[in-house]
Amino acid sequence: MRLFLGQRAWVLQRLTALVQLFLLALGAATLLIAPPLAYERWYALATSTHGAVLIVVFFATLALHGWIGVRDIALDYVHPPFLRLAVLTVVGVILFAIVIRVVLTMAAHFAGGA
Amino acid sequence: MRLSIYRFNPESDLKPHMQDYELAPEADDKKLLDALMRLKTIDDSLSFRRSCREGVCGSDAMNINGRNGLACLTPLAGLKEPVVLRPLPGFPVIRDLIVDMTQFFAHYHSIKPYLINDTAPPERERLQSPAEREKLNGLYECILCACCSSFCPSFWWNPDKFIGPAGLLQAYRFISDSRDTATAERLAYLDDVYRLFRCRTIMNCTEVCPKGLSPSHAIERIRQALVRESS
Ligand code: SF4
Ligand code: SF4
Ligand code: FES
Repeated sequence: MRLFLGQRAWVLQRLTALVQLFLLALGAATLLIAPPLAYERWYALATSTHGAVLIVVFFATLALHGWIGVRDIALDYVHPPFLRLAVLTVVGVILFAIVIRVVLTMAAHFAGGA
Repeated sequence: MRLSIYRFNPESDLKPHMQDYELAPEADDKKLLDALMRLKTIDDSLSFRRSCREGVCGSDAMNINGRNGLACLTPLAGLKEPVVLRPLPGFPVIRDLIVDMTQFFAHYHSIKPYLINDTAPPERERLQSPAEREKLNGLYECILCACCSSFCPSFWWNPDKFIGPAGLLQAYRFISDSRDTATAERLAYLDDVYRLFRCRTIMNCTEVCPKGLSPSHAIERIRQALVRESS
């Protein structure tokens, strides 16, 4: 589990933050330059190959960033080992489920060839 | 002047209490420590540490009106009254303003606060260029008063595992010493989710250091050195 110890978690936390920042800026720019006011426009944007990949990347980095943050809080405040494991597992499973849900939704769309 | 001081006698008290004092400082009482010394002539049961009385030994660190500092460097003029004195937050209290520093010094010793160099020593001394010596400024001056560690929330939550700003500043002092050859081992020891990475850059440490040092800056430099080391 070296991956989430010490420095690497800290570096990952910063890298995911940068990706998030970039994607949020990209999203904001899209909204400002060409606001997709109609549902069809939203749909087309989200289901283009680029859009789909970026949405998956967004949720994946969000989950990773969030989990490292929760882990930090747990290391600070949640000291009983069992409780800590429970918090980290529950939050981890929820975040993972969200990402899987996003991936499946996107995959279903492309598989369905809609 | 009025003071309100944290009192705890482990032999007779179950709980600590605050005790109020009235004191008339004399003309040459300039610092808070002068007032405390005068108070001690009135109430000799009042306990606190002090030695050098000029900001060199680091023994009279305490919480003064909610902020950590050295009594000997705190001017009486300008202190809001009543002056509330408490022992260093987050440290076990032994008696009155005296705290147990055992854990603090254990962290300090854990970072091997001495020069490590296995090469044969030169005949006279290991030389440094002025530029190399310059890197130790802002680090070697630390007097281990613990004002910083005792003001660090991360240290309050994990005092047994987080080395704390004082120990980490000292660690960086040896990492940046050109004569030390154990940099890689030192960094490997610090690459730990508790020892170094509990620091959240809250910067209370830098804000409160009575010697004007910046442990948070040293911690940032350790992180940078770790990134460089592993890339
Ligand atoms: S860094 Fe400053 S506050 Fe911390 S122990 Fe050293 S002198 Fe005291
Ligand atoms: S910067 Fe780090 S070491 Fe300093 S007070 Fe904040 S958490 Fe503690
Ligand atoms: S008495 Fe030595 S630092 Fe204050």
